[in-house]
Amino acid sequence: MAIMMPASDQAVLARRSEIVAALRAIVPGEGVIDSAAEMRAYESDGLTAYRQPPMVVVLPDTTEQVSLVLKYCAEHGIKVVPRGSGTSLSGGALPLEDGVLLGLGKFKRIREIDFDNRVVVTEPGVTNLAISQAVAHAGFYYAPDPSSQIACSIGGNVAENSGGVHCLKYGMTTNNVLGCEIVLMSGEILRIGGKSAENSGYDLMGVITGSEGLLGVITEITVRILQKPETARALMVGFAEVEAAGECVARIIGAGIIPGGMEMMDKPAIHAAEAFVHAGYPLDVEALLIIELDGPKIEVDELITRVETIANGCGSTTCQISTSEAERNLFWAGRKAAFPAVGRISPDYLCMDGTIPRGALPKALARIRELSEKYQLGCANVFHAGDGNLHPLILYDANKPGEIERAEAFGADILRACVEFGGVLTGEHGVGIEKRDLMGDMFSEIDLNQQQRLKCAFDAQGLLNPGKVFPTLHRCAELGRMHVHAGKLAFPDIPRF
Amino acid sequence: MDTLKVRDAKDVEEVVRAAIANEQPLEIIGHGSKRSIGHAMATNAVLDVSALNAVTSYEPNELIVTLQAGAPLADVLSLIDAKNQQFAFEPMNTAPLLGTSVSGTIGGMIAAGLAGPRRIRAGGARDHLLGAHAVSGFGDSFKTGGKVVKNVTGYDLCKLLAGSWGTLSVMTEVTLKVMPKPEAERTLLLRGLDDAAANKAMTAALGSPFDVSGAAHLPKSAFRAKTEGLGDIVSQGEALTMLRLEGITASAAHRAASLRELLAPFGTPALIEDAASAALWAAIRDVLPFASGGALGAWPVWRIVCPPASGAALGTQLAHETGGDVIYDWGGGLIWAALPPKSDAHAPSVRRCADAVGGHATLIRAAEEVRRDVDVFHPQAPGVAALSERVRASFDPKSVLNRGRLTRGPAA
Repeated sequence: MAIMMPASDQAVLARRSEIVAALRAIVPGEGVIDSAAEMRAYESDGLTAYRQPPMVVVLPDTTEQVSLVLKYCAEHGIKVVPRGSGTSLSGGALPLEDGVLLGLGKFKRIREIDFDNRVVVTEPGVTNLAISQAVAHAGFYYAPDPSSQIACSIGGNVAENSGGVHCLKYGMTTNNVLGCEIVLMSGEILRIGGKSAENSGYDLMGVITGSEGLLGVITEITVRILQKPETARALMVGFAEVEAAGECVARIIGAGIIPGGMEMMDKPAIHAAEAFVHAGYPLDVEALLIIELDGPKIEVDELITRVETIANGCGSTTCQISTSEAERNLFWAGRKAAFPAVGRISPDYLCMDGTIPRGALPKALARIRELSEKYQLGCANVFHAGDGNLHPLILYDANKPGEIERAEAFGADILRACVEFGGVLTGEHGVGIEKRDLMGDMFSEIDLNQQQRLKCAFDAQGLLNPGKVFPTLHRCAELGRMHVHAGKLAFPDIPRF
Repeated sequence: MDTLKVRDAKDVEEVVRAAIANEQPLEIIGHGSKRSIGHAMATNAVLDVSALNAVTSYEPNELIVTLQAGAPLADVLSLIDAKNQQFAFEPMNTAPLLGTSVSGTIGGMIAAGLAGPRRIRAGGARDHLLGAHAVSGFGDSFKTGGKVVKNVTGYDLCKLLAGSWGTLSVMTEVTLKVMPKPEAERTLLLRGLDDAAANKAMTAALGSPFDVSGAAHLPKSAFRAKTEGLGDIVSQGEALTMLRLEGITASAAHRAASLRELLAPFGTPALIEDAASAALWAAIRDVLPFASGGALGAWPVWRIVCPPASGAALGTQLAHETGGDVIYDWGGGLIWAALPPKSDAHAPSVRRCADAVGGHATLIRAAEEVRRDVDVFHPQAPGVAALSERVRASFDPKSVLNRGRLTRGPAA
């Protein structure tokens, strides 16, 4: 394992049977799993290159149980890793050898649907898609739609601030959640926000969202729901040059059009997808854009025409416009199956997740091609082009010695390039363990210390999901120390009034 | 009063470090347009960021603008308007309500986080702040976020800075999302509805697929015979319910027609377009009926945020109990209440009504002696208040930044 996790606490491991018994007293019956065979299901998440069985798995089904488990662990200095459906692509739910894995899978109930206030109050183990399904009869849906939406839990979505194909227009998780019930590491149960548009006081919901399970364990969430757009149509546009496709994206945005989704695939991705789903993708183009417009029919028809004109002006070589739902779904089928499609042409692949300014797209693709040469590994690219979120898929074979290391080095270079081009390390998959050691490429020690101080405000002992997000762990007392400079109030240069 | 006009982030660091060393808290200001919101601060030293006023970069095709925190809001709005773009959250101009001559800076806009009517659709300032450079109460410059829309790298400290009223850090430079201005806008006007019926009409509209971007209600009011900015639309204090549709022209017109049908049970709406519509929504955004120069200019004003479908019940009860006047925005989820002058600004009534529906209330306009005795910001549950204080201290352990602005306590 290339990533070092915090050293295991041997004293805790020595007390394992005592800890298991104590947890059984809190969560009876099947809720505590300690056999090696049964715990295997929990040893990794969507980042399958990393595996580690936990010390014990606990599956509580009430907030009170979560509170008692955390309180017990806090009092005994035991680390805790929270887990939703285990679909994280960054290793956010990777267990620790000496840690309790706290699964929220039993929190499966939607507690309230309130159409008048346009919110759903739900437990965290409910899947993203199940929320949309629960309100579909009234024409509503929950907008963020990560590709894993059939499986991923809403609690995990909040922890990771998940995005999706439609977040260009409808926002990420953080723009669509209003409140939560959260249990701190101390066991304290708090309610943040609710059905109102804004919290009172500091926006704690805002910082809990995307905190990757390091600040607290969420046991209830209030999300906003929206009315489904009346209709949606898509264009599938091919280009002979990646640059032209990038220019097309920029011009669409520049014309004031915010599509519901705007996706790009490069040639290797197009070929892999076409071979897999036969969506009718053109095979002789270097880049393919799928652009979806949604809203009232009259608006969609008008915007389709405008986008087609822009695409022609950028030298598109093919342009198909969906005329039915079946055709629109077919356009998407290849894109949505891009990851498994790539899985068919390569024994293994690594999915990266950097974001760059839209304008840097051609530059970033050129760099990825150079790196592909350098590392002698193939790469298929799919992007959320509208918001500059890249998903290069690095192809490798784990059975060939040295390939995974080369693939990881290739991926790290891509993410460093994203930062160099004015972007960031991760757009929607999270830092987790995967990008943890690259945080120093984007943030200074001062920046990271400020983030870790915030962690201290929620979890002063650092017991919740340690080893994720931050490359170096500091004690809270050390972070809080103030270096008082000589007490002079001179400022000879600063203008006074 | 000692005012230090900083020129760059290094100056800010130096001033904050000296403040720590001397245990001398600082009041952080830009133009000072919102200085009267909050409790009087326990300091007479002012850190003035208004000279940090540069536009660092504006990239219309990337939909972002990077600005120093002291950049004047009005200038920035003109700059992006020239490229047919806007801040989608419609930042409120507090000048008419508070009676100041300036509308403030970008830093103040974010620190106050007062979003206008489109918040129901586009979110608030917190949803549009992509990245920030700031100086913490440790005297250290740090950055958070980035210059791209889609970013989950590290904790989203931007969310905390937005709406923090300058108590966590001194922002020096920020990157904000900008959005294209809609091609057209249409507003449907329903007249004569009582608050409960108006709340139902707004709920129906916001629950429709017609993408309503504004839903406000001005109740029938004895106080509103004349309101500047609303022109002829509000005459004789008659109740007015307004619903806004924006987008490309054909779409806005089409949706207005569809919404009109949906609203038939509530009456036959009139239609206003583009400039007339924009003027009306600006008046709602800036709460012009309660402007300091108007008939209710001397009355304390509360801003109450609540679950939208509970708005009418809350507002009606409050107006009845106090003899005051209310305005509803955000489909009922935001209530502006101007209440007759009283030493406690009717705080017990306001807070009881807000608490009853899970809302919260902020005293936006009141004389300093009133603010001395009344909690300006809504008191929180003890556990949340304690966590908020730990969060504050994680940025500013010595409480040198805007000490005392958010909570009433013994002067330091």
